Amino acid sequence: MPVRVTPETFSMVNYDSAVIAATVEKLIADVGLPTDTPVSLEVDERVPLGKAEIRSVDPIELFVEGGAIEDAKRPREFSSEAALDVVGRLLMEVRDRLDPAFGAPPLDEEITVPVRTAWEIYAVGRLSRRGHRGQRQRRLYAFRTRHGFTDVADAAFESLWSGDGLCFADVVRISESTRQMLR
Amino acid sequence: MKHALPVEELARDERFVRVELFTRAIDPRTVPDDRQRAGPRIKITPDRPDAPDAARVLMHGIFMGELQALEGAGRTCWDFETGSGPQEAPFELKLNMARQCWDEARHCEISVKLGEWMGTEIGEFAEATFLYEAACNPDPVLRLTGVNRALEGLAIDVFNTMREFARAAGDPVLEFCEDWMLADEVTHVKMGSDWLRKLTEDDPERRQRALEFQRVVDKLFSLGGFRGEDDDSPIRLARRFRELAGFADEEIDEIAGLSREARDEFLQHRAALAEDARERTGTDG
Amino acid sequence: MADPKKPRAAFAPWDRRELPGVFDVEESARRVGTYKWIEMRLFEALGGWVATVPELDVKLRLGTHCYHHAWHAELWHKRLPELREMNPDRLTGPPNENMVAFVAALTEPEAPELTIEKLVGVYRVLIPHKIAAYTYHLNNTSTITDAPTIRSLKFVLQDEFDDWRDGEMMIQSLLENAEDVERAAAHQARLEQLLVAAGGIAGPGTIGDPWAKPLEPEAEVPA
Ligand SMILES: [Fe+2]
Ligand SMILES: [Fe+2]
Repeated sequence: MPVRVTPETFSMVNYDSAVIAATVEKLIADVGLPTDTPVSLEVDERVPLGKAEIRSVDPIELFVEGGAIEDAKRPREFSSEAALDVVGRLLMEVRDRLDPAFGAPPLDEEITVPVRTAWEIYAVGRLSRRGHRGQRQRRLYAFRTRHGFTDVADAAFESLWSGDGLCFADVVRISESTRQMLR
Repeated sequence: MKHALPVEELARDERFVRVELFTRAIDPRTVPDDRQRAGPRIKITPDRPDAPDAARVLMHGIFMGELQALEGAGRTCWDFETGSGPQEAPFELKLNMARQCWDEARHCEISVKLGEWMGTEIGEFAEATFLYEAACNPDPVLRLTGVNRALEGLAIDVFNTMREFARAAGDPVLEFCEDWMLADEVTHVKMGSDWLRKLTEDDPERRQRALEFQRVVDKLFSLGGFRGEDDDSPIRLARRFRELAGFADEEIDEIAGLSREARDEFLQHRAALAEDARERTGTDG
Repeated sequence: MADPKKPRAAFAPWDRRELPGVFDVEESARRVGTYKWIEMRLFEALGGWVATVPELDVKLRLGTHCYHHAWHAELWHKRLPELREMNPDRLTGPPNENMVAFVAALTEPEAPELTIEKLVGVYRVLIPHKIAAYTYHLNNTSTITDAPTIRSLKFVLQDEFDDWRDGEMMIQSLLENAEDVERAAAHQARLEQLLVAAGGIAGPGTIGDPWAKPLEPEAEVPA
């Protein structure tokens, strides 16, 4: 099995590593990575918060805190919808990072919060066109809080949300030029 | 229609899922100290990476609070005979509660519109029914100290924080909403203080109990998770909360029993975690 | 320019207000006492129902309307001492036992499935009766001596019309099939009979039928 989830059994939350692995497998196909791509996902069940990050791109190693894939209505229960959102976004970013044409900075290079937000919008927009829950208004709100509550910001959001074939420099340019208007 | 409607009977459509007071208290997971964000005195600033979602969660929690404040104020109109006895509510107090119903209904309307604006669905997050529980106390004065003075007092903190957040992020809609809701909440806190003074003028014992209830509610609501076995432990506070709310001893014991089990389980986990941490860091803990 | 010394009539030609009215002070106070009583019962019930109604829009409307009727109760409460009733509680009461039975039946529904019954009782029975009683009072009291009551009646009636419209629309939105319609009609008929037995919200003569007598409480009132 190309997907490895740790821990194998959970004791503080009611998660099933096989179910999580199946969700990740589906995502690998959905984001357009080869279906046999090995992915490992570490879940820190002790923390009910929502941190989610890429630890390594090659091999693909992802990390989430338990709260990131938890059912927002039922404490300590797994939510496949949340997992699809969060891990989907991470895998889309991995895909971008693996694509030389995208031109992502090295993984350990700091990315500002607004640029990170812009990249996430671009990732989730593509996922939503592949049938995933996009929560457009939620994403728009996140984008606006970092880029202003203006028509210019909304237009920038649109170009990311419906964008395709953008590269990292495009994402940075869209974010920074929009923020320039705030000053 | 009966008087005193238990929290389990609050009518909700299928979007809402309720999480009981003790469910949270017995959650064995911990939030690292440097990331404690539960409770009403949290600060959400736009530079926090999770700020937009944190704001959404918080405002949904506020929406649920508004709904229960509406229901609680409504129940105070209905649950008591009109009068000045200890188990009665004066006519003017009921008028105040009816006024609060209208205000809270508007706050719900505001919250729903705000949810649409922020991209939050109604019922997207679990509903904690703590406010309504505080609003169920058999003594109207305790209802007013628990809800109007304690919880609505804390709501003022949240609204202030969120108004600052809105200003910093440049969100005109959130700022507008917070501004208006703040104005109403200040009025509700004052109602609580006025009635506490008026109704317990000649009854220092009742005043004492009301103030204790306020403190317990305040602390319970402010705590994010387990804080050890001290007097502020949520389980102990929750127990006292129930005692002051007039629950039968057996009911409290049953809850306490469940809590004790959960606590034992939790302590085992914590020991294992400490062990794990020692192994990772090579320290003695 | 008008001559400031020229005498003018106290009542302008277009001012047709008249003495006397149908009610003396005592009857006015009696009616107002029953109004306060029913407004109190109504705002209390609406407040209590808020928590029992799962439909979000209805929940919020009931919370809003709860205050309207509390405010009406307050207006009547303040009017009573002005009508020589220094102890407002003395006249705050139902006109008769049949009215108490009506309120008991009105406030009986509690379960979350009974929103139709809750709304029908208020918006298809009680509020139409209130509108009738207040309109009768408005049209028959002295437009000169009882102007303060008239002013309150006009405010109150405006609320009643608005709330009635809200309530009727909520009911229509909840009636989805023949069974719902029958449920609504049956509950309405049951409550209407109780209110007829009471003679209206102010008792017999509520809308000026002085010959009317209260019906026997058990008269043909189906359970
Ligand atoms: Fe409120
Ligand atoms: Fe309030």
